[in-house]
Amino acid sequence: MRPPWHSTTLRILTLGGTALLAALIANRLAAPTRRLAWRTALPLSPAPAKPPGELERRAPTLPKVPQPAPEPHPQGARPAAAAPATKPAAPPVPEQTRTTSAPITEISSQEAWQAFQTGLPFLDARRSGEFAEGHLPGAWNTPVWEADLEDRLLDFKAQRRPAAGDAIVIYCSGGDCRDSQLLAERLLAQGYFHLLIYREGYPDWVARRHPVERGGR
Amino acid sequence: MKPWLLHPRLTLLVRLALGLTFLLAALPKIADPPGLAKTIWAYQLVPAPVLNPMALVLPWLELLCGVALLAGTWVRAAALWVGALLLAFSLALAVNLAQQRPIDCGCFGAAGPRTEAERLADMRWVLLRDLGLLLLVAQVLAATAPRKN
Repeated sequence: MRPPWHSTTLRILTLGGTALLAALIANRLAAPTRRLAWRTALPLSPAPAKPPGELERRAPTLPKVPQPAPEPHPQGARPAAAAPATKPAAPPVPEQTRTTSAPITEISSQEAWQAFQTGLPFLDARRSGEFAEGHLPGAWNTPVWEADLEDRLLDFKAQRRPAAGDAIVIYCSGGDCRDSQLLAERLLAQGYFHLLIYREGYPDWVARRHPVERGGR
Repeated sequence: MKPWLLHPRLTLLVRLALGLTFLLAALPKIADPPGLAKTIWAYQLVPAPVLNPMALVLPWLELLCGVALLAGTWVRAAALWVGALLLAFSLALAVNLAQQRPIDCGCFGAAGPRTEAERLADMRWVLLRDLGLLLLVAQVLAATAPRKN
Protein backbone atom coordinates (compact mmCIF):
# COMPACT_ATOMS: atom_id res chain seq x y z
CA MET A 1 0.00 0.00 0.00
CA ARG A 2 1.26 3.49 -0.83
CA PRO A 3 1.90 5.73 2.12
CA PRO A 4 -0.70 8.52 2.41
CA TRP A 5 1.86 11.30 2.12
CA HIS A 6 2.57 10.15 -1.38
CA SER A 7 -0.81 11.15 -2.74
CA THR A 8 -0.76 14.41 -0.78
CA THR A 9 2.58 15.37 -2.30
CA LEU A 10 1.27 14.51 -5.72
CA ARG A 11 -1.81 16.62 -5.15
CA ILE A 12 0.25 19.55 -3.92
CA LEU A 13 2.31 19.40 -7.08
CA THR A 14 -0.81 19.04 -9.22
CA LEU A 15 -2.36 22.12 -7.62
CA GLY A 16 0.79 24.10 -8.33
CA GLY A 17 1.04 22.85 -11.89
CA THR A 18 -2.60 23.57 -12.62
CA ALA A 19 -2.21 27.08 -11.26
CA LEU A 20 0.76 27.62 -13.54
CA LEU A 21 -1.17 26.35 -16.55
CA ALA A 22 -4.21 28.46 -15.70
CA ALA A 23 -2.00 31.53 -15.33
CA LEU A 24 -0.40 30.88 -18.72
CA ILE A 25 -3.74 30.56 -20.47
CA ALA A 26 -5.43 33.44 -18.63
CA ASN A 27 -2.55 35.81 -19.27
CA ARG A 28 -2.61 34.95 -22.96
CA LEU A 29 -6.33 35.67 -23.16
CA ALA A 30 -6.21 38.83 -21.04
CA ALA A 31 -6.70 42.31 -22.49
CA PRO A 32 -3.40 44.20 -22.98
CA THR A 33 -4.03 46.47 -20.00
CA ARG A 34 -4.50 43.44 -17.76
CA ARG A 35 -1.65 41.42 -19.16
CA LEU A 36 1.72 41.03 -17.49
CA ALA A 37 4.91 40.07 -19.25
CA TRP A 38 6.33 36.86 -17.77
CA ARG A 39 9.78 38.35 -17.85
CA THR A 40 9.97 41.77 -16.33
CA ALA A 41 11.85 44.51 -18.12
CA LEU A 42 11.63 46.91 -15.21
CA PRO A 43 14.66 48.05 -13.25
CA LEU A 44 13.55 46.25 -10.15
CA SER A 45 16.61 46.10 -7.99
CA PRO A 46 15.70 47.57 -4.61
CA ALA A 47 18.83 49.72 -4.67
CA PRO A 48 17.66 52.41 -7.11
CA ALA A 49 14.10 52.22 -5.92
CA LYS A 50 14.75 52.79 -2.26
CA PRO A 51 16.51 56.17 -2.13
CA PRO A 52 13.78 57.95 -4.10
CA GLY A 53 11.21 56.35 -1.83
CA GLU A 54 12.90 57.77 1.21
CA LEU A 55 13.41 61.03 -0.53
CA GLU A 56 9.77 61.25 -1.43
CA ARG A 57 8.76 60.62 2.12
CA ARG A 58 10.78 63.53 3.41
CA ALA A 59 10.24 65.86 0.53
CA PRO A 60 6.67 67.09 1.15
CA THR A 61 7.85 69.21 4.06
CA LEU A 62 9.97 71.28 1.71
CA PRO A 63 8.20 71.24 -1.60
CA LYS A 64 9.66 74.03 -3.68
CA VAL A 65 12.38 75.67 -1.64
CA PRO A 66 15.43 73.59 -2.56
CA GLN A 67 15.01 74.00 -6.30
CA PRO A 68 16.18 77.35 -7.53
CA ALA A 69 18.32 76.01 -10.33
CA PRO A 70 15.98 73.99 -12.55
CA GLU A 71 13.63 76.94 -13.05
CA PRO A 72 14.89 77.96 -16.49
CA HIS A 73 14.84 74.64 -18.25
CA PRO A 74 11.14 74.19 -18.97
CA GLN A 75 11.09 77.37 -21.01
CA GLY A 76 14.58 76.86 -22.30
CA ALA A 77 13.83 73.37 -23.43
CA ARG A 78 12.48 74.26 -26.84
CA PRO A 79 13.13 77.89 -27.63
CA ALA A 80 13.73 77.19 -31.28
CA ALA A 81 13.66 74.30 -33.65
CA ALA A 82 17.44 74.24 -33.86
CA ALA A 83 17.92 73.95 -30.12
CA PRO A 84 17.85 70.16 -29.61
CA ALA A 85 21.18 69.72 -31.28
CA THR A 86 22.97 71.95 -28.81
CA LYS A 87 21.10 70.85 -25.73
CA PRO A 88 22.52 67.47 -24.73
CA ALA A 89 25.57 68.80 -22.99
CA ALA A 90 23.92 71.68 -21.21
CA PRO A 91 20.89 70.55 -19.20
CA PRO A 92 22.19 67.89 -16.82
CA VAL A 93 24.65 70.26 -15.18
CA PRO A 94 22.49 72.84 -13.40
CA GLU A 95 19.88 70.30 -12.39
CA GLN A 96 21.96 68.42 -9.90
CA THR A 97 20.10 69.77 -6.93
CA ARG A 98 18.21 67.10 -5.11
CA THR A 99 18.03 63.77 -6.86
CA THR A 100 20.79 61.23 -6.86
CA SER A 101 21.29 61.15 -10.62
CA ALA A 102 21.35 64.15 -12.90
CA PRO A 103 19.53 62.78 -15.96
CA ILE A 104 16.46 62.18 -13.84
CA THR A 105 15.33 65.31 -12.06
CA GLU A 106 12.32 66.07 -9.95
CA ILE A 107 10.35 69.20 -10.77
CA SER A 108 7.83 71.16 -8.75
CA SER A 109 4.16 71.61 -9.67
CA GLN A 110 4.91 75.11 -10.89
CA GLU A 111 7.65 73.87 -13.16
CA ALA A 112 5.35 71.13 -14.40
CA TRP A 113 2.75 73.75 -15.28
CA GLN A 114 5.38 75.77 -17.15
CA ALA A 115 6.54 72.64 -18.94
CA PHE A 116 2.95 71.94 -19.90
CA GLN A 117 2.54 75.44 -21.30
CA THR A 118 5.71 75.17 -23.32
CA GLY A 119 4.41 71.97 -24.84
CA LEU A 120 6.83 69.44 -23.42
CA PRO A 121 5.66 65.83 -23.78
CA PHE A 122 4.09 64.34 -20.66
CA LEU A 123 4.15 60.61 -20.00
CA ASP A 124 1.57 59.16 -17.62
CA ALA A 125 3.10 56.17 -15.81
CA ARG A 126 -0.11 55.18 -13.99
CA ARG A 127 -2.38 52.29 -14.89
CA SER A 128 -4.53 52.58 -18.02
CA GLY A 129 -7.68 52.62 -15.93
CA GLU A 130 -6.47 55.63 -13.97
CA PHE A 131 -5.42 57.31 -17.20
CA ALA A 132 -8.89 56.85 -18.67
CA GLU A 133 -10.46 58.43 -15.59
CA GLY A 134 -8.47 61.59 -16.16
CA HIS A 135 -5.02 62.75 -17.22
CA LEU A 136 -3.10 65.82 -18.27
CA PRO A 137 -4.31 67.00 -21.68
CA GLY A 138 -2.15 65.51 -24.38
CA ALA A 139 -0.32 63.16 -22.00
CA TRP A 140 0.78 59.77 -23.31
CA ASN A 141 -0.64 56.68 -21.71
CA THR A 142 2.48 54.72 -20.76
CA PRO A 143 1.49 52.43 -17.86
CA VAL A 144 4.76 51.13 -16.54
CA TRP A 145 3.29 47.90 -15.12
CA GLU A 146 1.36 46.76 -18.18
CA ALA A 147 2.60 44.34 -20.80
CA ASP A 148 2.26 46.66 -23.79
CA LEU A 149 4.40 49.45 -22.36
CA GLU A 150 7.09 48.97 -24.96
CA ASP A 151 4.58 49.30 -27.81
CA ARG A 152 3.21 52.46 -26.24
CA LEU A 153 6.68 53.91 -25.86
CA LEU A 154 7.43 53.08 -29.49
CA ASP A 155 4.21 54.82 -30.45
CA PHE A 156 5.24 57.86 -28.45
CA LYS A 157 8.69 57.92 -30.02
CA ALA A 158 7.31 57.44 -33.52
CA GLN A 159 4.83 60.26 -33.22
CA ARG A 160 6.74 62.69 -31.07
CA ARG A 161 10.28 61.87 -32.23
CA PRO A 162 12.07 63.10 -29.10
CA ALA A 163 15.83 63.48 -29.36
CA ALA A 164 17.89 61.85 -26.62
CA GLY A 165 18.39 65.18 -24.90
CA ASP A 166 14.82 66.48 -25.22
CA ALA A 167 13.02 67.04 -21.95
CA ILE A 168 10.31 64.52 -21.16
CA VAL A 169 8.04 65.01 -18.16
CA ILE A 170 6.85 61.90 -16.34
CA TYR A 171 4.20 61.77 -13.65
CA CYS A 172 2.14 59.26 -11.71
CA SER A 173 -0.22 59.58 -8.76
CA GLY A 174 2.01 61.52 -6.38
CA GLY A 175 2.58 60.53 -2.77
CA ASP A 176 4.87 57.53 -2.54
CA CYS A 177 4.12 56.45 -6.11
CA ARG A 178 7.32 55.24 -7.74
CA ASP A 179 6.00 54.45 -11.19
CA SER A 180 7.46 57.68 -12.64
CA GLN A 181 10.86 56.72 -11.33
CA LEU A 182 10.60 53.25 -12.89
CA LEU A 183 9.57 54.69 -16.24
CA ALA A 184 12.35 57.28 -16.08
CA GLU A 185 14.94 54.60 -15.37
CA ARG A 186 13.64 52.63 -18.31
CA LEU A 187 13.85 55.63 -20.64
CA LEU A 188 17.29 56.41 -19.31
CA ALA A 189 18.36 52.89 -20.27
CA GLN A 190 17.03 53.63 -23.74
CA GLY A 191 19.26 56.68 -24.05
CA TYR A 192 17.09 59.59 -22.92
CA PHE A 193 18.81 61.74 -20.37
CA HIS A 194 16.61 64.76 -19.75
CA LEU A 195 13.82 63.21 -17.73
CA LEU A 196 11.77 65.39 -15.45
CA ILE A 197 9.65 63.76 -12.79
CA TYR A 198 6.61 65.72 -11.71
CA ARG A 199 6.65 64.08 -8.31
CA GLU A 200 3.41 65.41 -6.90
CA GLY A 201 1.71 64.11 -9.98
CA TYR A 202 -1.88 63.93 -11.06
CA PRO A 203 -3.63 64.59 -7.71
CA ASP A 204 -1.66 67.83 -7.38
CA TRP A 205 -2.54 68.77 -10.95
CA VAL A 206 -6.22 68.30 -10.19
CA ALA A 207 -5.96 70.16 -6.88
CA ARG A 208 -4.50 73.14 -8.71
CA ARG A 209 -7.46 73.11 -11.06
CA HIS A 210 -5.33 72.73 -14.14
CA PRO A 211 -7.14 71.34 -17.20
CA VAL A 212 -7.62 67.59 -17.45
CA GLU A 213 -8.70 65.27 -20.19
CA ARG A 214 -10.71 62.04 -19.93
CA GLY A 215 -10.78 58.86 -21.94
CA GLY A 216 -8.10 56.41 -23.03
CA ARG A 217 -5.77 56.27 -25.90
CA MET B 1 -5.87 17.41 21.29
CA LYS B 2 -9.33 17.98 22.67
CA PRO B 3 -11.93 15.99 20.74
CA TRP B 4 -14.22 18.94 19.98
CA LEU B 5 -11.37 20.62 18.16
CA LEU B 6 -11.40 17.83 15.62
CA HIS B 7 -15.19 17.58 15.36
CA PRO B 8 -16.23 17.10 11.70
CA ARG B 9 -18.68 20.02 11.90
CA LEU B 10 -15.99 22.37 13.11
CA THR B 11 -13.70 21.13 10.37
CA LEU B 12 -16.43 21.74 7.80
CA LEU B 13 -16.94 25.29 9.09
CA VAL B 14 -13.23 26.04 9.14
CA ARG B 15 -12.78 24.57 5.68
CA LEU B 16 -15.58 26.71 4.24
CA ALA B 17 -14.27 29.87 5.92
CA LEU B 18 -10.75 29.30 4.64
CA GLY B 19 -11.94 28.36 1.17
CA LEU B 20 -14.19 31.39 0.86
CA THR B 21 -11.44 33.71 2.09
CA PHE B 22 -8.99 32.45 -0.48
CA LEU B 23 -11.54 32.42 -3.26
CA LEU B 24 -12.47 36.04 -2.57
CA ALA B 25 -8.83 37.02 -2.25
CA ALA B 26 -7.94 35.39 -5.56
CA LEU B 27 -10.59 36.89 -7.83
CA PRO B 28 -9.52 40.58 -7.87
CA LYS B 29 -5.90 39.53 -8.24
CA ILE B 30 -6.64 37.24 -11.17
CA ALA B 31 -8.44 40.14 -12.79
CA ASP B 32 -5.41 42.42 -12.50
CA PRO B 33 -1.95 40.79 -12.54
CA PRO B 34 -0.09 44.08 -13.23
CA GLY B 35 -1.60 45.55 -10.07
CA LEU B 36 -0.48 42.54 -8.07
CA ALA B 37 3.03 42.70 -9.53
CA LYS B 38 3.24 46.32 -8.43
CA THR B 39 2.04 45.40 -4.94
CA ILE B 40 4.51 42.53 -4.60
CA TRP B 41 7.29 44.75 -5.86
CA ALA B 42 6.55 47.25 -3.10
CA TYR B 43 7.37 44.56 -0.53
CA GLN B 44 10.94 44.66 -1.87
CA LEU B 45 11.53 41.03 -1.01
CA VAL B 46 11.03 39.24 -4.29
CA PRO B 47 13.89 39.17 -6.83
CA ALA B 48 13.06 40.67 -10.22
CA PRO B 49 12.99 37.46 -12.31
CA VAL B 50 10.46 35.87 -9.94
CA LEU B 51 8.21 38.90 -9.58
CA ASN B 52 5.97 38.63 -12.62
CA PRO B 53 5.60 34.83 -12.65
CA MET B 54 4.67 35.06 -8.99
CA ALA B 55 2.06 37.72 -9.64
CA LEU B 56 0.58 35.57 -12.39
CA VAL B 57 0.54 32.16 -10.68
CA LEU B 58 -0.12 33.08 -7.05
CA PRO B 59 -3.77 34.14 -7.47
CA TRP B 60 -4.59 31.01 -9.46
CA LEU B 61 -3.06 28.89 -6.75
CA GLU B 62 -5.20 30.71 -4.21
CA LEU B 63 -8.28 30.16 -6.34
CA LEU B 64 -7.63 26.44 -6.82
CA CYS B 65 -6.92 25.91 -3.13
CA GLY B 66 -10.00 27.93 -2.19
CA VAL B 67 -12.18 25.87 -4.50
CA ALA B 68 -10.69 22.61 -3.24
CA LEU B 69 -11.34 23.60 0.37
CA LEU B 70 -14.91 24.61 -0.43
CA ALA B 71 -15.57 21.47 -2.44
CA GLY B 72 -13.96 19.21 0.15
CA THR B 73 -11.64 17.46 -2.29
CA TRP B 74 -7.87 17.36 -1.85
CA VAL B 75 -8.42 19.20 1.41
CA ARG B 76 -5.09 18.29 2.94
CA ALA B 77 -3.04 19.28 -0.09
CA ALA B 78 -4.94 22.56 -0.41
CA ALA B 79 -4.58 23.28 3.30
CA LEU B 80 -0.84 22.68 3.09
CA TRP B 81 -0.55 25.15 0.19
CA VAL B 82 -2.71 27.68 2.00
CA GLY B 83 -0.63 27.28 5.12
CA ALA B 84 2.59 27.80 3.19
CA LEU B 85 1.18 30.87 1.46
CA LEU B 86 -0.08 32.35 4.72
CA LEU B 87 3.30 31.77 6.33
CA ALA B 88 5.02 33.52 3.43
CA PHE B 89 2.54 36.43 3.50
CA SER B 90 2.93 36.86 7.24
CA LEU B 91 6.68 36.77 7.02
CA ALA B 92 6.77 39.30 4.18
CA LEU B 93 4.43 41.58 6.08
CA ALA B 94 6.36 41.19 9.32
CA VAL B 95 9.66 42.06 7.65
CA ASN B 96 8.20 45.26 6.20
CA LEU B 97 6.46 46.10 9.45
CA ALA B 98 9.72 45.64 11.36
CA GLN B 99 11.35 48.12 9.00
CA GLN B 100 8.38 50.50 9.39
CA ARG B 101 7.94 50.51 5.64
CA PRO B 102 4.29 51.25 4.91
CA ILE B 103 3.01 49.08 2.06
CA ASP B 104 -0.33 47.92 0.78
CA CYS B 105 -1.15 44.37 1.78
CA GLY B 106 -2.69 43.64 -1.62
CA CYS B 107 -4.41 40.68 0.00
CA PHE B 108 -7.75 41.35 -1.66
CA GLY B 109 -6.53 43.29 -4.68
CA ALA B 110 -5.21 46.83 -4.93
CA ALA B 111 -6.24 49.31 -2.26
CA GLY B 112 -7.06 52.96 -2.69
CA PRO B 113 -4.66 55.74 -1.70
CA ARG B 114 -4.04 55.84 2.03
CA THR B 115 -1.72 57.59 4.42
CA GLU B 116 1.37 55.87 5.76
CA ALA B 117 -0.03 55.66 9.30
CA GLU B 118 -3.18 54.01 7.97
CA ARG B 119 -1.09 51.52 6.07
CA LEU B 120 1.07 50.63 9.04
CA ALA B 121 -2.01 50.16 11.25
CA ASP B 122 -3.56 48.05 8.53
CA MET B 123 -0.44 45.90 8.27
CA ARG B 124 -0.67 45.01 11.95
CA TRP B 125 -4.28 43.92 11.57
CA VAL B 126 -3.50 41.91 8.48
CA LEU B 127 -0.67 40.18 10.27
CA LEU B 128 -3.03 39.25 13.10
CA ARG B 129 -5.61 38.05 10.59
CA ASP B 130 -3.04 35.91 8.80
CA LEU B 131 -2.00 34.33 12.07
CA GLY B 132 -5.66 33.61 12.81
CA LEU B 133 -6.06 32.02 9.40
CA LEU B 134 -2.98 29.92 10.12
CA LEU B 135 -4.74 28.56 13.20
CA LEU B 136 -7.64 27.54 10.96
CA VAL B 137 -5.20 25.80 8.64
CA ALA B 138 -3.71 23.97 11.63
CA GLN B 139 -7.17 22.74 12.56
CA VAL B 140 -7.84 21.40 9.07
CA LEU B 141 -4.44 19.73 8.96
CA ALA B 142 -4.95 18.13 12.36
CA ALA B 143 -8.40 16.89 11.38
CA THR B 144 -7.19 15.43 8.09
CA ALA B 145 -3.97 13.94 9.45
CA PRO B 146 -3.34 10.43 8.16
CA ARG B 147 -4.07 7.87 10.87
CA LYS B 148 -1.14 5.83 12.08
CA ASN B 149 -1.90 2.13 12.16
